[in-house]
Amino acid sequence: MPRQSKTARLTRRAFTAGMGAAGFVAGAAPFGIVRAQTAPLKVGVLLPRSGVQAGIGQDCWRGAEIAGGLLQELGLPPLQLISGDTETNVDVARSRAEKLITDGAQLLIGAFDSGQTTAIAQVAEQKGVPFVINIAAAPQITEQGYKFVFRNFPTAAMILGDAFKNQKEIFAETHAAPKSVVFLHVNDTFGTAMAKGISAVMPKFDMPYKIAEEIAYDPTARDLSVEIAKAKSAGADALLVVSRLNDAILLTREMVKQRWTPTAILSMGPGWYEDQYLKTLGKLSDGPLSFVPWYDPNKPLSKKLEAALAKAYPGINLSTNHVYTFEALLVAADAYKRAGSADPKALAEAIRTTHITNNVSPGPGIMFNAKGQNDKLQLSAIQNRGGKLVTVAPKSAANARVVWPLPPYDKRG
Amino acid sequence: MIARLLEGMPRAAAVLLALLFALMAAAPLFAGDYLLTVLILILYFAYVGQAWNIMMGFAGQLSLGHALYVGLGAYTAAALFVHFGIGPWIGLAAAVPLCALVGAFVGFLAFRFRVAGVYFAILTIAVAEFARVGFDHLDWTRGSAGLFLPVAQYARNDLWHLRGHPVMFYYILLSATAIAGLGCRALLRSRVGYFWLAIREDEEAARALGIDTFRYKMVAVVISAAMTAFAGVIYAFYYNNLFPEQVFHISRSIEIILGPIVGGIGTLFGPILGAFVLTGLAEMLTGALAALGIDIPGAKQVFYGICLLAVIVALPEGIWPWLSRRLGLGSDKP
Repeated sequence: MPRQSKTARLTRRAFTAGMGAAGFVAGAAPFGIVRAQTAPLKVGVLLPRSGVQAGIGQDCWRGAEIAGGLLQELGLPPLQLISGDTETNVDVARSRAEKLITDGAQLLIGAFDSGQTTAIAQVAEQKGVPFVINIAAAPQITEQGYKFVFRNFPTAAMILGDAFKNQKEIFAETHAAPKSVVFLHVNDTFGTAMAKGISAVMPKFDMPYKIAEEIAYDPTARDLSVEIAKAKSAGADALLVVSRLNDAILLTREMVKQRWTPTAILSMGPGWYEDQYLKTLGKLSDGPLSFVPWYDPNKPLSKKLEAALAKAYPGINLSTNHVYTFEALLVAADAYKRAGSADPKALAEAIRTTHITNNVSPGPGIMFNAKGQNDKLQLSAIQNRGGKLVTVAPKSAANARVVWPLPPYDKRG
Repeated sequence: MIARLLEGMPRAAAVLLALLFALMAAAPLFAGDYLLTVLILILYFAYVGQAWNIMMGFAGQLSLGHALYVGLGAYTAAALFVHFGIGPWIGLAAAVPLCALVGAFVGFLAFRFRVAGVYFAILTIAVAEFARVGFDHLDWTRGSAGLFLPVAQYARNDLWHLRGHPVMFYYILLSATAIAGLGCRALLRSRVGYFWLAIREDEEAARALGIDTFRYKMVAVVISAAMTAFAGVIYAFYYNNLFPEQVFHISRSIEIILGPIVGGIGTLFGPILGAFVLTGLAEMLTGALAALGIDIPGAKQVFYGICLLAVIVALPEGIWPWLSRRLGLGSDKP
């Protein structure tokens, strides 16, 4: 009995401690609830940050790094980024996706390359974790009937189709169109695929020019004088090119050396608009037109993204890599806000009903069809001007008029 | 039969092998999906490492283009599946002879015209590169745009069509690795195995003893290529997409040979141990760097390179010969 009364007796000290604890719990509880609602969504960012595609992967990562502030400004919930380096390897991409999900990633984005993206998509689908593709153009990825895979990037067919449409728009605006072109392309995987795609798609667009000659060259070539000499002797008006960075620089230097300025350089791939091309060639870099998945410089969010990148990485022009990685995160944050939870199914459902009009890429906005593909995306035609890039087509996303024809190389001072 | 294959093996080694196999067989019960993925990679490299080891470790013929057989096997089975709905096991029946034939062609070219050593290695690279470029332009396999196998959520494992959960692939590769290990031991203890060793040690002397070196080197290449074809088929149906740039690339060939080199060329268990060490080390480094909060792309590869260098400098014969001596198991390198 005495023991019982002892334990039942409420001392002043116990009362104070109890009240203190109750107060702490009562005080902390609301914060707990708030924390649960705004706890950051864990996003696994899978990119080839080492290996052959390291440069591109790191460029994409910059797009992810600058996203935080902008998303907050848009009133979207915070994201916690977990980096996964795919090492430019399909095997590693798959195991990294598994690891990120094991580590708690509630949504995945990535992975620049179609092969790596396909490997990740299978893991995401198997685990029921939403996967938003930033860059990968193989059409088959969204043709598999996946329920958790979404792509806000044009497919290869969309890229080629829009490129020809934009060319025709430019020709109509300038009232000038080349009658013939020399088609120069690298003979690596990308170049060969593009060459085949161009041959297949071009007839459908009734282009005003004919391909006078097709010249394939090795991407590791150190001298392209013969190729340029052949192109020049073909007597074509313009150059249609699919190249990489190094060969784009080599081709330009050869044209200068051989005193040949075609009416236009129409590039259907990377190289001609990259920062390194602009910096290396200076005034000689002006003029080429590139037909690429780009951004709409007139959209308010594009201006903010440009400013954020310029602040974080001065001297780097905003590009495809930054834009589409940022937009993948925008999709994730927007879906998280609307879903109100990090439950994968709720997130996937929210992504499916995405309708973002305040975005960066050209077109009406970000929305996905039944296959998880944003088929409303549009490509742009961009032109190099004084170390910067301006958009010249489509009209709806243009911020400059095209300079046509290409200013002669020997009159650039 | 297995008892006959294990004949002559130290008792401790047999017990350890049985324990390892039992542990691996039970792994899916306790391993998470991530660990399972890593184990699948380990088994894949252990299997192809053993296939390569037949050529280099047993017969002394350095191939730096084994990705050729992975790619050919993968593309053959995948294309038959995509175009005609032919299941992977029947595809395997086409892939194995095809790879054996290509292996025979490479071997014939080299051995007939006495292309040996470094020149043979270059020839294997050249043929693999030739295949890569060729497949880039082969429309039937979708060229450089990549060949995609249809994928869906499978409620159950379909072993006949190789569609299902990674656990299924894990057990297939575990069985294949074990069978390959036993097969390699059987080969080594056969007449052919002794001829290979004689060729590896001194080809001129072997020929002087009356061994038909051309024939037995051809046998080594054909068996190795045929075995590698199986890995290609599994690769195709596990990853479900094939790009010539990825499957035939020389970096894939280098990945295949690293395991046996680190584990111990010419040994039976070396390729398996090498696969465990390399893939395990890579994953551990990733985990360790993440735990330390180090996010420097490429840092893992630098550490990885240093670790490999250390292994090669300290243990030039590979890890297994040293480890087996330490464990008192004797060497399995004949």
